[in-house]
Amino acid sequence: MVTTFRRLADNVIDSGQRVAGRMAMAALVCLGTLSAVSAQQPPVHFWHPAGLPPGAIGSQQLQRGGPLPGFFQPVEITAPQGVMISLAEEGRFGNPQPVPVRAGLLVGQVYRLCAINLPFQPGVEVFPTIEVIDRLYAPRGLEARFPVHIELPREDLEMAAQGKFVTRVIYVENPQAALPAQGIAVEQSWFDVAPGMDPLAVADTLGRPIAIVRMGGRVPDQGAGPDMSFLFGCPPVLKLPPQPSLPAPQARPKEQAQPSTPPAKPDAAAPAAKSRSEAAPR
Amino acid sequence: MNRTIRVSVGRVSNPSPRTDDRLARLWRLALVAICTLILCSCRGPVGGRGNGPVANSDAAASPGDSSGPSPSSFIPHPSSFSSPSPALPQQAFPGAPPAGAFDPQAQCPACPPGWEMGVPLPYQPTGPWAPPGIGLPWPQDEYLADGGDQGIPAAVTASRQVRGLEMEDTVAHFDTRDGQTIVEPSNQVCLYSPRFRAVRQVVGANESDQMVASSGVTQPVRLVSTGDAAIPGSTKQNRQTVRQIGQKSVTIARTRQGDGAVSTAVGPFAFHNGFKPYEDLAVIRTGKFERAELAWLARGTTAAITWTSDQAVQIMLDRKAASAAVSDQKVDTLYSVDEPPANPKLRVIKVASTPFAEVGDTVDFTIRFDNMGNQVIGNVVILDSLTTRLEYVEKSAQCSLPAAFSTSQNEGGSVVLRCEIAQPLEPGKGGILRFTCRVR
Repeated sequence: MVTTFRRLADNVIDSGQRVAGRMAMAALVCLGTLSAVSAQQPPVHFWHPAGLPPGAIGSQQLQRGGPLPGFFQPVEITAPQGVMISLAEEGRFGNPQPVPVRAGLLVGQVYRLCAINLPFQPGVEVFPTIEVIDRLYAPRGLEARFPVHIELPREDLEMAAQGKFVTRVIYVENPQAALPAQGIAVEQSWFDVAPGMDPLAVADTLGRPIAIVRMGGRVPDQGAGPDMSFLFGCPPVLKLPPQPSLPAPQARPKEQAQPSTPPAKPDAAAPAAKSRSEAAPR
Repeated sequence: MNRTIRVSVGRVSNPSPRTDDRLARLWRLALVAICTLILCSCRGPVGGRGNGPVANSDAAASPGDSSGPSPSSFIPHPSSFSSPSPALPQQAFPGAPPAGAFDPQAQCPACPPGWEMGVPLPYQPTGPWAPPGIGLPWPQDEYLADGGDQGIPAAVTASRQVRGLEMEDTVAHFDTRDGQTIVEPSNQVCLYSPRFRAVRQVVGANESDQMVASSGVTQPVRLVSTGDAAIPGSTKQNRQTVRQIGQKSVTIARTRQGDGAVSTAVGPFAFHNGFKPYEDLAVIRTGKFERAELAWLARGTTAAITWTSDQAVQIMLDRKAASAAVSDQKVDTLYSVDEPPANPKLRVIKVASTPFAEVGDTVDFTIRFDNMGNQVIGNVVILDSLTTRLEYVEKSAQCSLPAAFSTSQNEGGSVVLRCEIAQPLEPGKGGILRFTCRVR
């Protein structure tokens, strides 16, 4: 009798341990699977909101790897006609230059600009910042020909002069989802995000964010002298010449050329072949 | 005592439970090991991909180190950087500098000033690279692609409608003598032409307070409607087993080489401006491929395929090519005519006038089509569904053969150019189609 009870108790304990062991195994498998799923990288370029302080997004982008550190991304800054742009260099703003201004900016750094001679706000200066957070991968030799177009439109400059803070995220449009804009757009196409939405996240869904322009909200203290924190340390700038001309098309070697090819008569391009064609039976 | 008896009875009566326990224990240990491996493997560093920076860390400095590594460290590993992604053109830069990129003596007219002095170094060798979570090829968003048959394969229905022709596709379909309708895609052409847009957010800032102000204009993001219903990809083409593969019969020579009659591509409907420099290739002019032009063809196309075969003397008997039968029992050569099996084939080659373009530039596209089969094909129709950023210039299409042009709108808001060849295409014959697009 005692043996029977003990055997029953052992069976109950064994079955309980078996059930517990199986549940533990199932929990372990689920944990491992969920961990693997959660470790997948989302198919976006940036995980950070655009409201981070200037420089934070670029520095975190550099930590993600890739051929970004040390690369001077050519940019072309445009603004309304008459506006002069100067870049901060060596603790002060350089000589104002008429737009468009072309320069090479380091990826991950923040550059302070000074926009003067605003035609609609005489005597008012606006100090935008440009943070290049990604780069272009132009073919070799075409880096300067295809700069990132950074536009400072009149509306944004006006709002910045009135004290509002404007954040503009410039992104490379995904050709698969590009809008069929008719004609040649003179101004860069843009749109406002809805209130409460992150412009960087919105831009990431439509393409690849490549630069962030912020303007308004802060002016330098003229009496305190050069403020390196205001100028973000004046990172190095690579000055670029104006728009380079088209690279000359590579001429074909002379031995490869077809000297007997008149442009107006393509039929005579291959006389030997033509003769064979005419001789071919039909 | 009782327990000993129970165990012994258990051993005698049923020896399998102990074996099952061992198997169960082993299975549990294996499961724990697998789960541990999964847990550990998913916590690796972000840059630890096989083709990422860590894989080439022997040649590259750390990503955050911008102190200026030595020029010798920028020499890429040949096996890592031999060729970019196959979906991008050869000149595409996927993140690795080409060989000799840091040679101070190298000529670089478009490089910024200071390049000759070696400072600053523009990029570090990390190889074919893509951001974490973004798939290769990279960077595909800076290129406009046109040509090929991506996605669902294009097919012609019984009602003569083309299904599966997506944006950027370029295909040609034709009818054979036995009633088949065959679709042949072209190669893909890529243009480097990045376009920029902007997203704006305006926040009203006060002296020390900050409140979010509603923006003046709210423009919802409008997505490009993709209303094309995807059809099941069940257009399988059964291919009959080809017999006598090992014998190089007349079919091969005729299919690949023709009888030299492909030079009649440019007929009475000649182009207005003759051949342009970018299409001044023998394969475009005459349809005959020359090995010396491989590099130039690869420059105009994404992946140039070698359709080469050296010229050889062909014997024509009764308007058909004959093959030579060589035997060791006779000293002479016996020529015989063999009726080749039907092998309809249309070759479509597409080239562009430039590998890069800015917004507003015009790009000329040239499509060379040749009947490389051994039978007459009819109802040859060439379709080119342009990508959204390519705007077809009206009345710019011209063909060397009598053809009818028409356009229709595709799902991306661009144009599908349709060129219908009026006459049947005999074996060895071909033509040229050219049209102009504006990058927008």
